[in-house]
Amino acid sequence: MWLYLAPTLVINVVIILIPALLTVGLAFFQWDGLSAPVFVGLGNFVSLWDDRVFWTALENNLIWTAIFLTIPIAMGLLAASMLLIVPRRGSTIFQVVYFLPVIIATAITARVWQGMIYSPVTGIFGWLGKLGLPITNPLSQTSTALFGIATVDLWHWWGFLCVIFFAALRQVPQEQIEAARIEGASFWQMMRYVLLPGIRSTIVLMMVMTVIWSFLVFDFVYILTQGGPAFSSEVLSTLAYRKAFYDLNVGQAAATALVISLFGLVATYFYIRIQQREGV
Amino acid sequence: MNMGIKAKITLAGAALVALGVAAAHAEDKKPISWWYETAAPENQEALEKLLVQPFNAAHPNEELSIDFRGAELDKQLRIAMLSGSGPDIVYTAGPSYVAAMAQAGQLLPLDDYAAKLGWNERILPVFIELGKYNGKLYALPKTYETLGLFYNKTLFDKNGWKAPTTIAEMETLADEMKAKGMVPFAAGNADWRPTNEHYVSIVLNSIAGPDNVYKALKGEIPWTAEPFVKAIDKLNEWWQKGYFGPNYFSLTGEQAFAQIATGQAGMAPTGTWNFQNVPRYFPQNNAEPAFIGFPSAEGVPSPIYALGIGSTFSIANSSENPDGAAEVIDYVFSDKFYGDINTVWQGEWNTPLKDLSKVTIGAEVLPLYGETMKNLADAVGKNQYGYTTWTFLPPATDTYLVSGMEEVWLGKITTAQFLEKLNAAFLEEKAAGKVPAIPAR
Repeated sequence: MWLYLAPTLVINVVIILIPALLTVGLAFFQWDGLSAPVFVGLGNFVSLWDDRVFWTALENNLIWTAIFLTIPIAMGLLAASMLLIVPRRGSTIFQVVYFLPVIIATAITARVWQGMIYSPVTGIFGWLGKLGLPITNPLSQTSTALFGIATVDLWHWWGFLCVIFFAALRQVPQEQIEAARIEGASFWQMMRYVLLPGIRSTIVLMMVMTVIWSFLVFDFVYILTQGGPAFSSEVLSTLAYRKAFYDLNVGQAAATALVISLFGLVATYFYIRIQQREGV
Repeated sequence: MNMGIKAKITLAGAALVALGVAAAHAEDKKPISWWYETAAPENQEALEKLLVQPFNAAHPNEELSIDFRGAELDKQLRIAMLSGSGPDIVYTAGPSYVAAMAQAGQLLPLDDYAAKLGWNERILPVFIELGKYNGKLYALPKTYETLGLFYNKTLFDKNGWKAPTTIAEMETLADEMKAKGMVPFAAGNADWRPTNEHYVSIVLNSIAGPDNVYKALKGEIPWTAEPFVKAIDKLNEWWQKGYFGPNYFSLTGEQAFAQIATGQAGMAPTGTWNFQNVPRYFPQNNAEPAFIGFPSAEGVPSPIYALGIGSTFSIANSSENPDGAAEVIDYVFSDKFYGDINTVWQGEWNTPLKDLSKVTIGAEVLPLYGETMKNLADAVGKNQYGYTTWTFLPPATDTYLVSGMEEVWLGKITTAQFLEKLNAAFLEEKAAGKVPAIPAR
């Protein structure tokens, strides 16, 4: 049995466990990434606690999580249930269209939105402005920057959920659907009493994963605003990145990364508990 | 048939021998590796033609190769240096990176090469001082830059405007431009958020004055001192008056610079690296560019050229061919290479040579560029220079400055709060020995 497990174990230890333990360790050291680390105890966490930007970043991660727990899941569910009604060939086309943004590289998606949509010079927003319909670039305002980024990520993301939910919906036993139909259930009644309970575990899994992914969000924020303007779209991962690679403060970056992991751990705990309960 | 096989074997054998000879020949040459940052295809070609080929031809025993690593060079380099597998020529993003690497013993002291190859005589002394750490020379700047004011001379002539020589004159001009519906300062940070610090560097030097900045860098006065408050307040006032236009956070640096050529914006307070954008935008708009030092406040000498170092050369401690690497650096600091590369690629290769009178830049290059560089070298030679934040501040202080200034502009914090936090970050890094060498004035 050990031989069978060995390859995956080795990979996990080398690529995940060792770096993870190093990160945990480094959170208690002051290190510039080059010279010898100095032990500072809880110093890095105290600095984070006192850092206003850390709290902004944490708040932004929570807002992000709230957005992604609701909007894309609702959109995905709605579109998936509609796909159920469309004839087979039509639903395939829709699935492809919905899924397309998911497979485009995030860097390209971000640049397209930044340059071709939001930009007041080269984008659709600029063109609308010339037509007398001025819309401000959301990325340039502190009050809207985070939502501007979330819109891009939503566009890229919800199709994935839609396809997953659609696949799950098709697994709901046909007899239950037939029975409901014979009983004269409306579309909403069908959703409420048959389809949604039928795919409950998929929805819960996606919600738990959403929490984990929301705390890991980095790429769109980094490309679109780098956390600006004035820290208004800073999230924990961009903060950690800046601390590690710009401030050369690897210790505080590791401490920030630990906070990110903490939220992931909480989500994982709930996921495992739900799974166990369902297993019983 | 038999003969055929024999012939084939003989041929294959001959080919193998030939390959072996070629390999042995290649082995005679000692490789020199150099990782370079992002460069446009035509610029990569220029380096190949003007540096790699002539260098290898002149040094038959060396084989220089440049590897273009893209925008993440700095991070790749840092990881490679930790494991001792980096290139021979270490190309860092500035003196504050050098200090950390030298501290960790990853770089070779260059003092012997500087004496042997005559760098001390050829290079402006300020820059030799800047590359020192604990009294030893570890780095030479590849290019140095300064900040000033670009403007559209054609547009100025048409409106009867004169180049401003004082802050008050510049403000009057900016107000006039605004009244005409122009953006006074062509500026944008969508592609490079640290653009903010260009403006902070300008006001620190031209309003607070280089002597005060020097004192603060030395730790003799705090960054919360009154001259700095005045400088940041002034920069904030310009922002609030709309000098930076409505699209600062949406425009890229290049898009913004293009606006002075088209006449949408009046002036561009920016760095000499923008000379590389002049040929791209001015001729097609039938506009003539001009560049002056940024005007100074009363009591501060005018103009002050704030010095910035874009990138530096060092030699890795782990290099197996340090002599070859030194020869490449020496080649870069030759009059010939300065002239050749600046003919095709302006703004990125202003190596800090003391005397530019022997340099010939191609006739097709804007004379303004050569003039500006000569003025700059003369001013530095006479110690009339200031300090850019990205070259002289330690890393965490500098990154805070970039976002902190945005917070002041957007009304999230006051000037006093900004400078207080800046000062705290600076003191912490100063205590940890992260402040780069500051040459005596």
